[in-house]
Amino acid sequence: MSNIWKSVKLDFSLVEPYTKTILFALVLPSVFAAINRSLLTGISFAMCFMAMTTGYTFSVTERNSMERLYGILPVRKSEIVIGRYIFIIIMGLIALLFSLIAHPILLVVLGETIRLSDIGNAAAMGIFLFALYTVFLLPGYYKLGSIKGRMFLYIPAACFLATLSFITMDPAKNSTLFFTVIRFPAISVILAIAAAAAMYILSILVSVKIVQNKEM
Amino acid sequence: MKLIISNISGVPIYEQIKQQIKAAIMSGNLQENETLPSLRTLAKDLKISVLTVTRAYTELEQEGFVKNIQGRGCFVLGQGSELLKEQLICKIESNLSEAIKAARTANLSAEELHHLLDILMEVTTDG
Amino acid sequence: MDNCLEVKNLSKSFGNFQLRDITFTLPKGYIMGLIGPNGSGKTTTIKLILNMLKRTNGEVKILGLDNITDEQAAKSNLGVVFDTNYFSDDWKIPQVEKSISAFYPNWNTHKFSDLLEKFRILPSKKVNELSKGMQMKLMLACAFSYDAKLLILDEPTSGLDPVSRDELLNILSEYIEDGGHSVLFSTHITGDLERVADYITYIRYGELFFSGGKDEFIDSFQIVKGGHGELPADLSAKAFGIREFTTGFEALIRTQDQKQFAHLSAEPATIDDIVVFTNKIGGQHE
Repeated sequence: MSNIWKSVKLDFSLVEPYTKTILFALVLPSVFAAINRSLLTGISFAMCFMAMTTGYTFSVTERNSMERLYGILPVRKSEIVIGRYIFIIIMGLIALLFSLIAHPILLVVLGETIRLSDIGNAAAMGIFLFALYTVFLLPGYYKLGSIKGRMFLYIPAACFLATLSFITMDPAKNSTLFFTVIRFPAISVILAIAAAAAMYILSILVSVKIVQNKEM
Repeated sequence: MKLIISNISGVPIYEQIKQQIKAAIMSGNLQENETLPSLRTLAKDLKISVLTVTRAYTELEQEGFVKNIQGRGCFVLGQGSELLKEQLICKIESNLSEAIKAARTANLSAEELHHLLDILMEVTTDG
Repeated sequence: MDNCLEVKNLSKSFGNFQLRDITFTLPKGYIMGLIGPNGSGKTTTIKLILNMLKRTNGEVKILGLDNITDEQAAKSNLGVVFDTNYFSDDWKIPQVEKSISAFYPNWNTHKFSDLLEKFRILPSKKVNELSKGMQMKLMLACAFSYDAKLLILDEPTSGLDPVSRDELLNILSEYIEDGGHSVLFSTHITGDLERVADYITYIRYGELFFSGGKDEFIDSFQIVKGGHGELPADLSAKAFGIREFTTGFEALIRTQDQKQFAHLSAEPATIDDIVVFTNKIGGQHE
């Protein structure tokens, strides 16, 4: 078992006492999906909530000064950081899969029609949004700690909303590409995964650098 | 063997160990070829530094009371050992010189002193 | 390999603090006390050994391995106890084992449960339900369960009651009994070290004051005392700190200087005496 995977397991045991809160964050977005009758709204909230709950790993380590434990374990700092990213991506995937199954069922029960391409696009947006939320958030946590670092969650969210409103303001001009993409959900999913992968690689590099320069 | 360490006697701990082991050998409580407790076990039991016990054992070896055989432990050399005898002679000499000093102060002649010694030796062999 | 810890010319500069040229060696099978008042650089030294701080200069070898280039290999044989525990306080004992054990290939589960029993730690407890002494023993139980060859303790006894401190000394004496395990023990409560330590490394104002055998350390100092008005003029040049009071004075001098002051009554110094006198403001001659 590699050190990275051991670090992932350590992160899971860090949040284990918060299982109930995490389950709540997993289920609550269904309510928003139901109220708005919208798959995209549900997924957006699901990804945002899950991105927020990942902060537990940072607040728990901080509260118990567990950087000392990381300092004595026979493992590289980069392995711990990559482990943390993998943990967070796994949590994001859990939220995504849960929402992609639960929300359509809920909406169909409520009388909406959900096409397969809607689910595909929702998946693409979920992947992209979760990456967007976390790639700034994690370096923020590493650099500023679990309280101040949290503001890195709001910056990408604000940018995203601004971009979105910009696109929808003048649909004819800006969104030709956008609407071409969403007609082919397979392409949008692939694009989202590629974008997320590139963002994560950059983010991991930044976080590793921050952690290696940090003195405990 | 009994070993009691005092923290307030002012005598260094290694010296206390030495004195007590020597006393045990001289009184016959520790017989020839008996092994002393292992260095590290004694340190653990008395909760003292390993180096302190090492020093006590090394000095006991230098003074000829014990023999340290690598890997087998520390053996008591017994009262027959030459060095031990020398040690004892030394002790007798110093005690006798004390006696002579006292005799001079008391104006005792050499003959009277010899006589006193004879009497004392008889008493101790009887008792 | 006979040395389990070698520290050579270790240096570190912070904004207003400097640790300079710390050099010492801990032979395998012994206990070394790392002493000095608060702020003298003990914890900095330990964090540099653990590569938790970046050294400015110097070299550290743990069990013969470089602490930076062979960090992982070195740390898999190293146990560390800090003054407070470094586990999540929400964890129960089995979660502690689950989280830590994976990182150590030679973790022994039986040994861990035996140690819990020996140290009277209830497995059903959460970390934050354990007393300070129990938390210390939990850290020790972890280190012993992967058979750490070198144990580093940073102020483990601060805030501990005398019973727990005594238990710790028992545990450490037992730990080094087989000759294959060693301990570096930083503390400002020097009474803990007076009996059990084999070696002393004394850091003062970020510099090495002494490193060597404990007996040698204690034997090389004497406390001299005298009555009011008996203070020799040349004593202040030789003494490490003089304490004067209405009825007399006492001072710490090197044993080699004692014949010069043979008329004063002298007594052996304790580790505490040496640390206290060598830290008196205005009393040092070096």
